Amino acid sequence: MTVTAKILLVDDDPDFLDMHKAILANHGYEVITATSGGEGMERVRTDMPDAIILDLMMEKHDAGFSFSRQIKMDPLFKRIPILMVTSVAEATGYRFSLQEDGYWMKTDDFLDKPVKPEVLLERVERMLKKSREAP
Amino acid sequence: MTKPAEILVVDDEMGIREGCKRALSRLGYAVDLAEDGAVGFRKVQEKQYDLILMDLMMPGIGGLDLIKKVHDIDPEIIIVVITGYATIETAVEATKRGAYDYLPKPFAPETLAVLVKRGLEKRELRLEAQRLHHERDQRLLELAGEKSRLRTIIGCMADGVLVTNLERQLVLWNAAAVKMLRLSGTDEPGRPLSHYVKAPSINEALQNVLSSKDAGLAMISQEIRLEDPELVLMAQMAPVRDEAGTLLGAVTVLRDITKLKEIEKIKSQFVSMVAHELRSPLAAIEGWLDVVLSGAAGDDERKKEAWLERAKERAHSLLALVNDLLEISKIEAGKVALKMESVQVADIIRKLVDFLKPEADRKALSFTIQMPEALPTVQADVQDMEKLFTNLISNAIKYNVDKGSVTIEATVDAQYVGFHVRDTGIGMAPEHLPRIFDDFFRIEDKRTSKISGTGLGLTIAKKIVDSHFGHLEVKSRPDQGSTFSVYLPYQKRTK
Repeated sequence: MTVTAKILLVDDDPDFLDMHKAILANHGYEVITATSGGEGMERVRTDMPDAIILDLMMEKHDAGFSFSRQIKMDPLFKRIPILMVTSVAEATGYRFSLQEDGYWMKTDDFLDKPVKPEVLLERVERMLKKSREAP
Repeated sequence: MTKPAEILVVDDEMGIREGCKRALSRLGYAVDLAEDGAVGFRKVQEKQYDLILMDLMMPGIGGLDLIKKVHDIDPEIIIVVITGYATIETAVEATKRGAYDYLPKPFAPETLAVLVKRGLEKRELRLEAQRLHHERDQRLLELAGEKSRLRTIIGCMADGVLVTNLERQLVLWNAAAVKMLRLSGTDEPGRPLSHYVKAPSINEALQNVLSSKDAGLAMISQEIRLEDPELVLMAQMAPVRDEAGTLLGAVTVLRDITKLKEIEKIKSQFVSMVAHELRSPLAAIEGWLDVVLSGAAGDDERKKEAWLERAKERAHSLLALVNDLLEISKIEAGKVALKMESVQVADIIRKLVDFLKPEADRKALSFTIQMPEALPTVQADVQDMEKLFTNLISNAIKYNVDKGSVTIEATVDAQYVGFHVRDTGIGMAPEHLPRIFDDFFRIEDKRTSKISGTGLGLTIAKKIVDSHFGHLEVKSRPDQGSTFSVYLPYQKRTK
């Protein structure tokens, strides 16, 4: 197990919030939660998480995008890696990929809901490792 | 010849009459006789003759007068003049008046036979010529009729029609085309299409049809979007060819598919919305099951049970959603033949309140029902009324505050019975009101996030009220509660 890290979950679905929190907490992560973009920003400022897991669809349909842009534009927070979790993909026919959408999506990784617990853990770990190694 | 030729002999000399009859009857002709011009003329009026032999010099109506009178009736009757004064003058005079030939008295039966035969042949030819004339006139008339019929038919069509010749000049069009394409300058035909059509896409597509050289049937269909007026047209273009296959021009039929396109768009939006609404709970259910099965979040049995409970809740809400969707599709497909009967809606509402009471008691809500006795009955489907008021009353409970109240009142005006469901709940901001009847629309904020709902309840309520020819109104302000009013038309009792 890696050095414990603080992870912020932003999701408007309480089920996913609780579910991901249970999984991550069980693996030694410290987890803080927010149910909206605004609340998420608040937690970023006050708690300075090591990574963010963000649901794309919050209140307004572009809330996920604007939240991640806000983080990535801020010199203080832009190094915090963001894992975008979404249930839009198949339902709407959109598929996001880092190669194609990374430029304007400004997140570090994508996953489709529902996320397998082991996949979630592996991605979070990889993301944290990458951000620690970055200069 | 199937029918013997009809011959009339008009002569005041009985000897000539009988002689002619004998000679001609032998040859198979049908012969009638008349002793003077008046009798002869009467016979011509009664019967159609092919040939008339007549004496020029008769008492009463003279031969020359008779010729004219006969020809007024049938100009093709062959008239042979019999005359005792076989002079050139008489003959010329008679032929001038329309006689075919003349026969000087006395004459041999053979001479008569030859002349009659020749005359009848002439008659045949004349009749044939007349028939051909008539036929040609008929054809011309038909052609003119065809043209005006064609114009009438395409004029009545809702689809726009444009016909262009090889020079791409507009030669035929209808009113629908003028309206769709806002054609201008159609008072002078035969100008290039671009003179009338402002949309370059139509010109372009038309060029494609006209440039196809192959003799096969090339039909081009394409969608054309116009900006002014805002229309989507389906244009079908086909070359017009003559019998030999030579290209003559092109016909373009334009169908207005704007409405269809809109419906298509709404439908696909609805499908993607439904897919998303179904996916969220399913993803949550699968997520919870994964968490329990994988043990990734620990093996505490009590926690596992709680997680399964969460999955079950989502499954339950998913089921409610699917039920609502089925409800909507039933209403929209008109499958539920409404079972309209005289219904006392107040009774239904009282029953529903009893049924929903336990739910209200959990929030310690108080119910006030103020409905006058003897409300008029309305024509309605009982099940629909139950669904409608269940949705409205359970909303009034769900979105209420603890220890709040729900008031149900009824009013009657000239045409409608009104039922008003008022709560003291969280209310709605004005900007949300226009959208509350939209599919899946839910106001998302802190206070509604714990309230379960499919986002279809009011959609269904609205559709039910619409199908009963009523209307549904809402008044609401944040923190002041909401009032939903259902107005249903009633039939006044005839005294």
